[in-house]
Amino acid sequence: MSSANDPLRLEYAEGPNGLRIARQSPPPRAVSFSATYVGPAGWAYDGHGQEGTARVTAQLLTSGAGTRNRIELARFLDRAGGTLTAHCDPESAEVSVWGPADSAPALLGVLADAVQRPRFEGADLERVRRQLVERQLREMTQPGARADRELHLAVFPPGHPYRTTGMGDRRSVSRLRSTDLGKFHARHFTGGGGLLVATTSSSTRSLVRTIGRLFDDVPSTSPPPPPMPRIGGRSPKSLTIDLPGRSQVEVRMGGPSIARSDPSYPAAYLADEVLGGATLLSRLFTRVRSRGGLAYHASSQLEAMRWGGYWTAEAGTGTDRWRRVVPMLRQEVDRIVGEPIPTSELDLVRESRLGEVALALESTSDAHELALDVAYHELPEDHWVTWPSVLRSLRPEEVRRAAELAFDRRHSATVVVGPVRRG
Amino acid sequence: MIRGAGARPRVESFRLANGLRVLLAPLAGSPTSSVWVWYQVGSKNEHPGITGASHWVEHMMFEGSPRYGKGAIDRAIIQVGGELNAFTDTDFTAYFSTVPRDHLSVPLDIESDRMTRALLTDREVERERTVIHSEREGNENWPEFRVEEETYQLAFRIHPYRWDALGRREDIERLTPEELRTYYQKFYGTRNALLVVAGGFEPRSTAAEIRRRFSKLPPSGADVTVGQTEPTARGERRSELSGPGTTPYLQMAWRSPALYDPATPATMLIDTVLGGESRLFSAGPGWGRAAEHPSARLCRALVETGIAVRATSEWRPRIYPSLFTIQAQAARGVPLARLESAIDAVVDRFTKKGPTPLEMNDARTRIRRGAALAYEGASRTGFRLGYFAVLHSPAYEDRLFSQLLAVRADQVRDRARELFRPDSRVVVRYEPTGGGVDE
Repeated sequence: MSSANDPLRLEYAEGPNGLRIARQSPPPRAVSFSATYVGPAGWAYDGHGQEGTARVTAQLLTSGAGTRNRIELARFLDRAGGTLTAHCDPESAEVSVWGPADSAPALLGVLADAVQRPRFEGADLERVRRQLVERQLREMTQPGARADRELHLAVFPPGHPYRTTGMGDRRSVSRLRSTDLGKFHARHFTGGGGLLVATTSSSTRSLVRTIGRLFDDVPSTSPPPPPMPRIGGRSPKSLTIDLPGRSQVEVRMGGPSIARSDPSYPAAYLADEVLGGATLLSRLFTRVRSRGGLAYHASSQLEAMRWGGYWTAEAGTGTDRWRRVVPMLRQEVDRIVGEPIPTSELDLVRESRLGEVALALESTSDAHELALDVAYHELPEDHWVTWPSVLRSLRPEEVRRAAELAFDRRHSATVVVGPVRRG
Repeated sequence: MIRGAGARPRVESFRLANGLRVLLAPLAGSPTSSVWVWYQVGSKNEHPGITGASHWVEHMMFEGSPRYGKGAIDRAIIQVGGELNAFTDTDFTAYFSTVPRDHLSVPLDIESDRMTRALLTDREVERERTVIHSEREGNENWPEFRVEEETYQLAFRIHPYRWDALGRREDIERLTPEELRTYYQKFYGTRNALLVVAGGFEPRSTAAEIRRRFSKLPPSGADVTVGQTEPTARGERRSELSGPGTTPYLQMAWRSPALYDPATPATMLIDTVLGGESRLFSAGPGWGRAAEHPSARLCRALVETGIAVRATSEWRPRIYPSLFTIQAQAARGVPLARLESAIDAVVDRFTKKGPTPLEMNDARTRIRRGAALAYEGASRTGFRLGYFAVLHSPAYEDRLFSQLLAVRADQVRDRARELFRPDSRVVVRYEPTGGGVDE
């Protein structure tokens, strides 16, 4: 495979009004096309009292744009064999199209409409509002979602971008008007700070020309990142919430972590994979499920983002077992921070994670995720090509030191949600 | 050679003397190879007292076999950069591993070792009991699971589709290791297995390797045919559930034909028009499907009008007659009775007038488009080939595809009149009791 056709190697280019473009070749035998716009439109930018704005805006981008209303847009996508999806996180919003390679021009047109010309029709706003309120209620009453929510509230101070899940409350969502969403859209779906990633067999030159024509209306401005309040407190917190009538207890433990740009990220990534990321091999899975037989799921995540990050260790367990599971999670986090990982264990996990990259080349949509990750974090174009040598150069003590940085236990919290009193 | 239509790759098929069926789909240039073993054993082969046994065996297949001790299967696949998993259904159980193409021998060795010789020791079976409990408890936290389980229990009184593949809570508590071993030894064998390999490999040497590894297994596997036939329903069945949460939810179900039934194509089109999903021929990135289909009739009638926050239909491909369902979650403040009336109105209108020409045209387009993208990647190819083969035959996909495109609107309408019979209907409502939220 020549480097120009290597899906592990991106090509960067400049688009209209400051929009960054990243092109990726599709994997061998792929027959589909993927493209994603990423804009600085996450829920950290929600105004005070207008929480939920970013989520509602992102959702409405798929509900009619340009000359097509929601139903017409859905029918157009059906005929093109494609999909249009949108979601957001604290930092950004992503709008993606996917479909057959021969529909790529039509799908890029849909993406351009969704990003630049959403309709924000009143009936659609009402529908999305209803759906979001329902999700808010579920977040409060489903043990897993409630545990995630409470963990973030416990770890991050008021005003911190990672403190909430961006859904707002019934009052803030009911306050939103189409004009508010229009203003938010104009400020945050921009070329400056924006990014367009395409996995396509078209050349970079041709892609740049197409993007230049289709995305000419994105403003060149870029919003400043929101403030990051200092995370105070010095002792771990603990919280138990009883949800009677539920069957399973969800346990979450977590705290602040490093940003993706931190030089220790690759080592911290490996530490997380050993702890609970590489599910079947990980220490949490092995100890809590395979050896302990105490839970169906036990894992960890390291969310390293642009402005910072957080880590989580979690398990879903029985009402009579959670008291045994909580100390296990804590001990395994302490162990990953306190002791170098044996070389054989580190090698096994490292090679498995490198294999995962090859497996991502099965389809366009999987490969596209690799490209998005690299482009969003402004990593080098050959990031995935050099990734094996980066990971293989890491020694156990480096990984332990990175774990110490990444798994901040001083500011951590433990949350247990579910039918906790029954046991 | 079976010649595939559309996007289906060419497939080489053969059967070993011990009964094991093999499908090989070489994909030139694919960086990975995917190995799937499908057993025609699922919860349909269980009976009250041992419900959940197929799912339990699925867990145990990772817990030890002669050459692979506990945890060794996971390690063997993962250390070469592969991924593996398994799932259990009413009609089958499937195990898969996808590895970089140079390591195809690893999953082949594992599957040949555990096909008839998984250990299922007392100790490991007991340890897994609480894991399975936890899995079920995680599902029970969702009203949708409770409603689904209740729906099938009401609809089926004799047929084993009555219980969920996870098994009943009481059976998970009492099933003994000996019973589980007996179940495994009875059904898991070469005669009930299908091996599918898809991806970047050389077919001749791979076929030789498969013969070498699997031919030595003795022929085994009892008949998996289900003898019981569910009697015709003679009236609507209803249930009212209540439980924690804030999700007012409703599911309706009607008896629907088995996959191979001539009525299946028209039934699938009803599902596509009402729910928006062309099941078996749906397109979407990854493995997922679109969460909402705004142009589908149920979504337009219920979600766009503010009666529901989500609404869809579902027809599932099954070996034996099963259920066609419509499910919806009421919007805040909308009583479930009003939601039920609104669904009745959609069904009533559909049975009277059938689909519009535009809806038929859109449904056919969706099916064509979905079929064109269904085989991207070795894992999806292995899944899809095995899925059709285990439920019917690999070639059935082509036949079904042609039939779907040939069905007329009036045939869909006539089929809807047969399907939506009030006397075969099941209705389950879930009224939430709140809890955990300040209103």
